[in-house]
Amino acid sequence: MALKMNRQFVYVWFLTIFFWSCGGNGKDPSPEDNGKDRKVILTHWVDNIIVPAYGNFKTKFDAMKAKADAFTTSPTTSTLAEFRVAWVDAYIEWQKVELFEFGPADEYTLRNFFNIYPADVTGIAANLSDPSVNLDLPSSYARQGFPALDYLINEVGADEAQIISFYTTQPDAGKRVAYLKRLTDRMSALLSNVITGWPIYRETFITKTGLDIGSSFGNVVNAFVLYYERHIRSGKIGIPSGATIASAGTVNPDKVEAYYKKDVSLALAKTAHKAAMEFFNGKNVSTGAAGPSFKSYLDALEAKDVTTGTMLSKIINDQFETINTHLDGLAADLSQQVQSDNQPVVETYTSMQKLVRIIKVDMTSAMSVTITYTDNDGD
Amino acid sequence: MNNYFRKTTSAASLAIFRIAFGLLLFGSVLRFSAKGWINELYIAPKYFFPFFGFEFVRPLGNLTYVLFAVCGLAALMVALGLYYRVASITLFLSFTYIELIDKSTYLNHYYFVSMICLIMIFLPAHVFFSLDARRNPKVHFDEIPLWSVHCIKLFVCIVYLYAGIAKINSDWLLEAQPLRIWLPAKNDLPIIGRLFNYLWVAYAFSWLGCIYDLSIPFLLLKNSTRIFAYGAVVTFHVITSILFPIGMFPYIMISTALIFFSAEFHSSIIQKLGTLLKVSTQFLHPQKQYRYPTMQVKAVLTVFVIFFVIQGAVPLRYAFYPDDLFWTEEGYRFSWRVMLMEKAGYAQFTIRDSEGKKIIADNKEFLTPLQEKMMATQPDMILQYAHILRDHYSKQGFRSPEVFVDSYVSLNGRLGKPLISPQTDLSREKESFYHKPWILPLDHEITGL
Repeated sequence: MALKMNRQFVYVWFLTIFFWSCGGNGKDPSPEDNGKDRKVILTHWVDNIIVPAYGNFKTKFDAMKAKADAFTTSPTTSTLAEFRVAWVDAYIEWQKVELFEFGPADEYTLRNFFNIYPADVTGIAANLSDPSVNLDLPSSYARQGFPALDYLINEVGADEAQIISFYTTQPDAGKRVAYLKRLTDRMSALLSNVITGWPIYRETFITKTGLDIGSSFGNVVNAFVLYYERHIRSGKIGIPSGATIASAGTVNPDKVEAYYKKDVSLALAKTAHKAAMEFFNGKNVSTGAAGPSFKSYLDALEAKDVTTGTMLSKIINDQFETINTHLDGLAADLSQQVQSDNQPVVETYTSMQKLVRIIKVDMTSAMSVTITYTDNDGD
Repeated sequence: MNNYFRKTTSAASLAIFRIAFGLLLFGSVLRFSAKGWINELYIAPKYFFPFFGFEFVRPLGNLTYVLFAVCGLAALMVALGLYYRVASITLFLSFTYIELIDKSTYLNHYYFVSMICLIMIFLPAHVFFSLDARRNPKVHFDEIPLWSVHCIKLFVCIVYLYAGIAKINSDWLLEAQPLRIWLPAKNDLPIIGRLFNYLWVAYAFSWLGCIYDLSIPFLLLKNSTRIFAYGAVVTFHVITSILFPIGMFPYIMISTALIFFSAEFHSSIIQKLGTLLKVSTQFLHPQKQYRYPTMQVKAVLTVFVIFFVIQGAVPLRYAFYPDDLFWTEEGYRFSWRVMLMEKAGYAQFTIRDSEGKKIIADNKEFLTPLQEKMMATQPDMILQYAHILRDHYSKQGFRSPEVFVDSYVSLNGRLGKPLISPQTDLSREKESFYHKPWILPLDHEITGL
């Protein structure tokens, strides 16, 4: 293979390599290329989604906190009723921020203290007699947050009168009131930490635009996929229906979210699913308009099914919609649904599993993000 | 022909190569250890993925530290040219042993290093500017057989050429895959980053990368083009080191390519080093020619003929397998196929037995994140893992457990699809060099060499 080349050719060849290597005189990216600017997306997320969503949650949470305080000050039928309503409102709104478990929320591991269920009833009973118990330990995650409140306002008595007597006339009532108050105070303090943490973290967040481990964009992708896989697919649907590993075929009606309130478990799941979908599409929490997002990024990368030409973002959105349809067919009380007719719940799980594969493999691969958490459920 | 084998050249070329290579490997071992990878990759994992035929290579637990120490010491001794034969054999064996422990850590550049170590055992790299030569005037020479230097050059040429040939495929040239996925991920680099937003840049990188690999051996060999070519080698490898997490490899290639420079070039470096170290003129000019003992030369040459025949053949073995190479990875390793694929996957295993026991394995109970990532896209590792699960659950009271996998893999931007037939009981399948019929077809043809 004797290549005959003169100096001129080599010179040109070298220059080309050189040009290629150094990048040379690049023009400014044209507008369509801005879709690949991850800083724009990160900025949109923090300013127009994350911070306003926490703001909305805080409003609902503070309202619940006020009702909780009214109840602990004076446990009556009406303060209990108002507390319960406010608890549902706040729990629903929580579903719109639970997915932001990165940055400050990750620092304080907010989810661990707000929404680990099923509630540990025995543990709560133990804590009630010792209201000053350490609540930071992993063993105490399921003894606080919304699931513990669910138990404490819906299940500690056969009817409202008994629940009120639980906090008024029964022995240890004072300790119980103190524990209830401690739980809501604690949630309030943690939430404040996260909310005040965001403006401080903002600059770091929007400048760490890499896709590698430890960069904001990579972290968000990982948190998003993990949240959908473990906390929506498995937690809300898979485990109760017995479709996942941990439950291996048997239904677990007692493991639904808001088990004691009963009729809101589906609403919570739907809200969380919708929040994930809206985050995927970059929906501005204040204006409702779509903005820079996973979707716009995937579109800018022209990620698509090469066989059909369908955009990957459309495939993902279609799957979100399919799941919506499945969720629409379920009863408001998922624990009742898995016992009476589990099949639709299993089908919902299957359609969610399909989405997990797409976002975990196709989406991350198209974006060149490494999934850093290991597989599966069971924690 | 006989004439060729009688030709000699300055021993400086191999001496420089020996020093550079030994020091770089020594540095690599230090770096590896400093990053905590010895424990992370070779001690902490509960299970390992040995290579087919090399199952006797077992992890050594805490002795792995000793193995690395031995490897690092051997590398240093090679650099110094101290007890060279023993050191080079030890270096080859220890380094190769490490690389054979777990497939998850397979990288072409480790294989490259391993093969260079093997070649070095048979070369008179220690006869000049070495502690051996200093200790023992009997092994002190300044001329060595020309072919011994050519062995290294030939091997480097083979590596570049096969790397270039592997790039002649439709994904790389026609789709600019996977660079069109990887480059935009680096669009936040200063100055050059924004360029990666353009698709044409991915195409330019792909085509030039291919042309580079295919032409660089010839340009390095030719006197008139060598200096340009070396500039390109440096530029190319520096750029890849900025873009991709490939550790020491760029520096190893940049140093290795020095072997292509003339004997005078290497001699002048030795002169400078000699002045620096204040060695005697006699040490730099023993004025003796190294000749392999007559009995040895035939054996050594036979070894090299066999070695190069194998090197030439192994990368072509993929042609014996049906289906797409990138998808099945049958015949993929040891072939200088570098950075050709963006492959991601997901694999979930179900184990069940005749008594109705059923469990879905929690992969993280068994594997590290790296192992899981690698396993999920490579059929032979999926099979190994299925056997790990079979054996584990047998001990857990499953009676002759069956193992099935639900897999989903995306390759070079194609939408994901199952890689392994979900109906195949992997507990009964055996590893072999035959095609694995339970790998599902890709359904997209990737044409090329």
